[in-house]
Amino acid sequence: MSDTTKAIFTGDRCLSCTSCMANCPVMAAIKDYRGPKLVGPAHGRMHFSQEDVEESLNYCSNCKSCDRACPSGVAVSTLNMLQRAEYYKNHPHLRHEDMLAHGERMAKLIRKIPFGATFSNIGMGLGKTLGVFSALGLAGERNMPAYASTSFKDKFNRIKQPQSGKKVVMFTGCYINDNEPQVGEAFVKVMNANGYEVLIDTAFNCCGSPLVVTGFLDEAREHADNNVARILYWKSKSIPVVTPCTSCSLMLKEEYHELFGEHEMHEAATNVYDAFEFLEILQERGEFNDNLKPLNQKLLYHVPCHLKSQAIGLPVIEILEEVGGVKVQTADAGCCGISGNYGFRKDKYEISMKIGENLFNRVKQRDFDKVISDCGTCRMQIHHGTDIKPCHPIEILAAAYK
Amino acid sequence: MKISDVIVIGGGLAGLMAAAVAASRKKNVVVLTYGSGSLPLASGAIDFFNADNPEDAVKNLPNHHPYKKIGANVLNTAAKFFIDIAAQANLPYVGRVNAQIPIVTAVGTLKYSALVPESMDASHLAGKKKIFVAGIDGLKDFYPKMLVDNLKKYFPDKEFQTAKIDLHLLGGRDITCMDAAQLLTDNEQILANELKALNAGVDDAIIIPPILGVMGNFSRSVVQTQIRAEIIETTCLPPSPPGIRLQRAFMKYLQSSGVKFFENSKVVRGIVDGKKISGVVVENAVREKIFRAKKIILATGGFYSGGIFMREFDNPKEPIFDLPVFFPEGAENWSNVNLFDDKPQGFSTTGIFTDDNLNPIDADGKILFDNLHVVGANLGSCDKIFERSAGGIAITSAYKAATI
Ligand SMILES: Cc1cc2nc3c(=O)[nH]c(=O)nc-3n(C[C@H](O)[C@H](O)[C@H](O)COP(=O)(O)OP(=O)(O)OC[C@H]3O[C@@H](n4cnc5c(N)ncnc54)[C@H](O)[C@@H]3O)c2cc1C
Ligand code: SF4
Ligand code: SF4
Ligand code: SF4
Repeated sequence: MSDTTKAIFTGDRCLSCTSCMANCPVMAAIKDYRGPKLVGPAHGRMHFSQEDVEESLNYCSNCKSCDRACPSGVAVSTLNMLQRAEYYKNHPHLRHEDMLAHGERMAKLIRKIPFGATFSNIGMGLGKTLGVFSALGLAGERNMPAYASTSFKDKFNRIKQPQSGKKVVMFTGCYINDNEPQVGEAFVKVMNANGYEVLIDTAFNCCGSPLVVTGFLDEAREHADNNVARILYWKSKSIPVVTPCTSCSLMLKEEYHELFGEHEMHEAATNVYDAFEFLEILQERGEFNDNLKPLNQKLLYHVPCHLKSQAIGLPVIEILEEVGGVKVQTADAGCCGISGNYGFRKDKYEISMKIGENLFNRVKQRDFDKVISDCGTCRMQIHHGTDIKPCHPIEILAAAYK
Repeated sequence: MKISDVIVIGGGLAGLMAAAVAASRKKNVVVLTYGSGSLPLASGAIDFFNADNPEDAVKNLPNHHPYKKIGANVLNTAAKFFIDIAAQANLPYVGRVNAQIPIVTAVGTLKYSALVPESMDASHLAGKKKIFVAGIDGLKDFYPKMLVDNLKKYFPDKEFQTAKIDLHLLGGRDITCMDAAQLLTDNEQILANELKALNAGVDDAIIIPPILGVMGNFSRSVVQTQIRAEIIETTCLPPSPPGIRLQRAFMKYLQSSGVKFFENSKVVRGIVDGKKISGVVVENAVREKIFRAKKIILATGGFYSGGIFMREFDNPKEPIFDLPVFFPEGAENWSNVNLFDDKPQGFSTTGIFTDDNLNPIDADGKILFDNLHVVGANLGSCDKIFERSAGGIAITSAYKAATI
């Protein structure tokens, strides 16, 4: 891979074939968005040097459906994000944008207060009822993700792991760390069962995905530089970095390099694996522990957009179908619509729910035992749209190890 | 990694058809594609051959022509299968291999095709009393007046009337047919009301751009049942709703038959095992992944989609398996297409040569890989644009490759 994969160089390959427009879920949902071809490559190419702003760029959710439709390898969505950052050079961020971009900072502050997580969860509820959400520009219809009382990183030290010469570093991601530590615990159990000891590196920051989509590109760059240095450190020790969050893995593997184009970013990326991708590689090598107890479950799998973009097939299915009695069916209902913090904005809520409608209808058929999805915000959106709570596929696998 | 029965490389018309045919025979199928192929740009109509009787014309083609390799007997079976898949997704098609069904283009000329979406079938125009042509406010690239001027040349003594319809769809941008089609999906009544106001009678026709939804025939039924005149869609500039309806019809079939369809997956090379390809390698941003199968179908779309590329002049390459690509040497041969000559000529005839099983062959006719089959725009030795055979070759070669 050469540095021409940096997004900024890919715009020139655009053939104006319009495939990206035909596949953009936001364009399908509303008429105000001018769409990826015009906004990303075309507008981007002409105006990057000027202070000219395409207002409707604000609608892009960075779901990356356009990139996957493009026959010419144009990094359409990343061009959009770079342009969005240009916009914010001369325009202030709104308060809710700041909040949504800095989930990590908020979680840390809250945890400094004794019982902070509990209070803040109550606070979230109160704030909502009093209309504070709406005033801040957040979608009042949504529950903010509840903080777990103990973060995963705090819980982690108490987990007893068998020592092993084979190690992986887990990149937890914010959502698993702050909101769903049970996913992290399941990950550790699965890795241990496969002979790996799990390490945690507290020097990692949030991958930066929420910062990129809200136009805090300079801050995202700081996160990228820090995380890349850490990943390279682990690479020098031949210890891979593995993450069960698909948006994190996409950021670390692909988007840092597309956005900022530094060679080290790509070098670090080669040491990063999605959790099930890693397990499937073990399976390929005949090293996967298939001593699993049967579960007899029918699972409906919503494949996150950010996993589809990684071109690694569907390792979740290859692995989970090793478990006796497990049958995985893909939902095939498109993007869930939430796209990280996009669906949390008041002005995007309706769009996000409209995009998700297909998926909600599919899930509501209830012809399965559980819904699974490896993206935290996808799980939140499905729960919100259907009242059915999905889990991470790694939780299923963990349950199958005795 | 499990070994699938079939891997199809490329998700364009030929790839979708090959995957559907293989899946209908209970095969375990994986599709790997990079980019969404040319269907979103295409009219959705399928041409077999530019002749009065394509079935006969195909029998008289020179031996190196792809249709000769595919076999004339496959044409009708493949056409039937195609129509059936579309029908299952509520997307009715009319026609057969030998049909000549007129469709109205966006500028008002008539074009004849063999398999045509029912919504575009303009066969009955000649018998109509009055023809309305309705443009949409804010819609780019559709000019009722120009359309009428051109259509008058075919029907000089018909009565025409143009109309402008406001669908209240305008947001911050000009809209394309695709936008209008997406916005009208589940929202058809606005259009129905506007068309009713034209007061067209049962003997009339209303010509509109192709905006009747993106999912099969659903939106069209809602509107047509309220309007006495026959509504006929034209072709349009891309993105093209009729092409997208066809693509979605195939996707629906593939999903319901358990085909694994992987986007963004660029195949970079094959794993060669003697005269077999035992798997293919997909390259993503950071590493490679191997997919294995018993049979591989190469549907990468020829020159237009990267299935064949030419970095150096006079030296075209097939990038995945490095198959020999035949093309007329010397630029002087590129323009003069002598169609029924015994040698392939002209730039557009460039492509891969195969035997009767669609296995790739070298210059001496030797089979290179016996579980690799080449289909669609990759096939060389005929000018598919000139012959108007692109769609027909795509679906028939796909059918053959999937059933061998
Ligand atoms: C604008 C337009 C209008 C048309 N109108 C008509 C018509 O009216 N009638 C008619 O009969 N035909 C028409 N056609 C042609 C018809 O659609 C053809 O059948 C088609 O172009 C050829 O199909 P294909 O599947 O071989 O190639 P394509 O549709 O080009 O698909 C090839 C696919 O392979 C993918 N690919 C390439 N390389 C790789 C790789 N290394 N790894 C993975 N994937 C790869 C490409 O991205 C693409 O998705 C039209 C075509 C176009 C473009
Ligand atoms: S990233 Fe998603 S929302 Fe943005 S232009 Fe692409 S397809 Fe549309
Ligand atoms: S799909 Fe790619 S090549 Fe086609 S218009 Fe969009 S960016 Fe350009
Ligand atoms: S939240 Fe999930 S499905 Fe939705 S855009 Fe992001 S990755 Fe895709």
